Amino acid sequence: MKRRAFMITAAGATAGMVLLPRMSFAVPGQIDWYTSSDQNILDFWTNVVKPKFEAANPGITINLVDGGDSAGLQAIADRAIAALGTSNDPQADFFEGFDSRLPVGALDKGLWVDFSKANLSNYSKINPLAFEIDPQRENLPYRGSQVLLAYDTTKLPAADAPKTWDDLVTWIKANPGQFIYNRPNKGGSGGNFVRRAVYAANGNDTKLFSIDTYTDEKAKELLDPAWAILNDLAPSLMDGGAYTSGNTQSIQLLGQGAVTMIPAWSDQAIQAISQGALPETTGLVQLTDVGFPGNFSRITVNSNGVNKDAALKLADFILSEEVQGAVLTELGGFPAVSWDHVPADLYEKYKDVIPASIPVFPGGPWEKAINENWYRAVAPNVDPAS
Amino acid sequence: MTDTPAGNIAQATSPAGDIVGTRNRWYLGLLLVAAPVLLVCWLIIYPIIAAVVQTVWVPDADGVNRLSLESYRFFFSDGYSLANLWITLWTTLVCAILLLLICLPIALYLRFSEGRLPAYVQALAIFPMFVPSIILSYAFIRVLGPNGMLDILLNAAHLPKIRSPYLTPWGPVIGLVWDHIPLTVLILLSGLGNVSNQSIEAARDVGAGRLIVLWHIILPRIGNSVLVAASFAVLGIFSAFTIPYVLGPAAPEMMGPFMQRTFRELYDPTSAITQAVISFGFCIVFGLFYVYSVARNQRT
Repeated sequence: MKRRAFMITAAGATAGMVLLPRMSFAVPGQIDWYTSSDQNILDFWTNVVKPKFEAANPGITINLVDGGDSAGLQAIADRAIAALGTSNDPQADFFEGFDSRLPVGALDKGLWVDFSKANLSNYSKINPLAFEIDPQRENLPYRGSQVLLAYDTTKLPAADAPKTWDDLVTWIKANPGQFIYNRPNKGGSGGNFVRRAVYAANGNDTKLFSIDTYTDEKAKELLDPAWAILNDLAPSLMDGGAYTSGNTQSIQLLGQGAVTMIPAWSDQAIQAISQGALPETTGLVQLTDVGFPGNFSRITVNSNGVNKDAALKLADFILSEEVQGAVLTELGGFPAVSWDHVPADLYEKYKDVIPASIPVFPGGPWEKAINENWYRAVAPNVDPAS
Repeated sequence: MTDTPAGNIAQATSPAGDIVGTRNRWYLGLLLVAAPVLLVCWLIIYPIIAAVVQTVWVPDADGVNRLSLESYRFFFSDGYSLANLWITLWTTLVCAILLLLICLPIALYLRFSEGRLPAYVQALAIFPMFVPSIILSYAFIRVLGPNGMLDILLNAAHLPKIRSPYLTPWGPVIGLVWDHIPLTVLILLSGLGNVSNQSIEAARDVGAGRLIVLWHIILPRIGNSVLVAASFAVLGIFSAFTIPYVLGPAAPEMMGPFMQRTFRELYDPTSAITQAVISFGFCIVFGLFYVYSVARNQRT
């Protein structure tokens, strides 16, 4: 009886082990690619970059994986750090929309490839502006996006669309309930609208803000006037001061005709129009005094991936004229290479909507200060003085 | 004396005694429960203790750990945090009341009617269980949001537009109630299984009306189920994330989104854990309700 019980248990355990998930290993020639970006970027890679690259490089395929957000990519990068110096396989080669300063300590340990020493044939074509914004050579900028205003041209003729911050404020107040932006921590469209208000509160001086000069006192001094501006706008927003919880929800409200104007990422707005989520009659406009802040998206490549060479080939490929042109036409972003390296006809077509410079608001402690204080000072819709 | 099936089986088997031969192997029972108990200790009890310790045993200015209630003092003196706690309690209470008001009639209908129609009603009542809350949230914006389907229907009937509940505290209430209907209906329905048709017929025979039957025959028998349903609803709603995140106002925010934001965007784990411990303190009250009612149920 006991023996039989033992046999049954042992047999069950053995059967169970067989059913355990197998260890998986990176496949040679298959680049394990992770993104922190939204669906439209993943679509761009699936439909444009992957087929072009695989056709040009027989034997190499790309395994596109949605890593969710920056925290998701950090977890995968942590795995790559753990594998450094061992023969372990990190199962990761390419990080889209990431920052080599993450995870903390990864740079010191030599996790990330320095692109300036990687002999990329297209490296010299990168717009110097991108390195002014972020000089980190382990980050490779490959596409830019900016926030602009998307509006309903059936209610607001293009000729009357606001072109400066003051025009915008005047318009919002003259048309109560017709504007909404999302919470600054829930998506860059609202986040950069708030940052534009911060510029406006400080004489449109974009030079005042840098990551090195941050102090709590300075943040309070520079940010508090912006909260006053935004609180002043709140009663004129949709529902007297409602804020959506993401870029997509703002686009949905514009699409439903619930509001007339929203701040939106250029790439998301253009894709929404092409997919019908926003009607053809949607207009896009950038402010001409100081634009809404934007940034370049960057990729990183880890030095210990099984397919590092293929990943670097891909990094070079996305800076080619072909992909950079597609960033303009398919994605609605703007290229990371200088304008001399974009097809001439595209340059002619898009030169009006592309700003000569993109204000970039620093992250780090500034981001935290904006997120924290916006929630306390603006979101409750309570006059701090009362 | 009890008329539940479980009670009958327990009584029927106990005189027969040692059918499976466990009398001399008392440790077998302990071994069987050891795995889940260890799991609960490891994944639930230990993190709770660790969280409480982490919030009261904090480094001071010199970097030396010492006992401090500073993070709790901050939470309970900070108007913003208290407003978030208050809206969470309000949402939970309103949702629990609405759930019972909506689900009890549905469960009564399903229990006491026959034919094909109740089957469809049941399918409809269970349906929200299979809808992920993120999809529910976006559908809500389409239907109840500004210029949504409801507004279009009202407009077609020449009625004025409604003030949309989207991005107000009522948005999460409507979404959460819809989301929790299936579980509440199922729990109430199982409780109504304890109400025998005979007892209701007997009451009817002596002239009891519908309300009298509900009040004196049905409700006393399903009191436990109501308590269990309310506890489950409260526990689920208190810690809800997606629906309040998408549908609720920017401020005050419910504890779920508040904790997540504090942890991931303000990089302030101590405050986030303090908020979690405080939420846990409120939830444990309802957890104890639930345990108490289950224990009482097993005693009788």
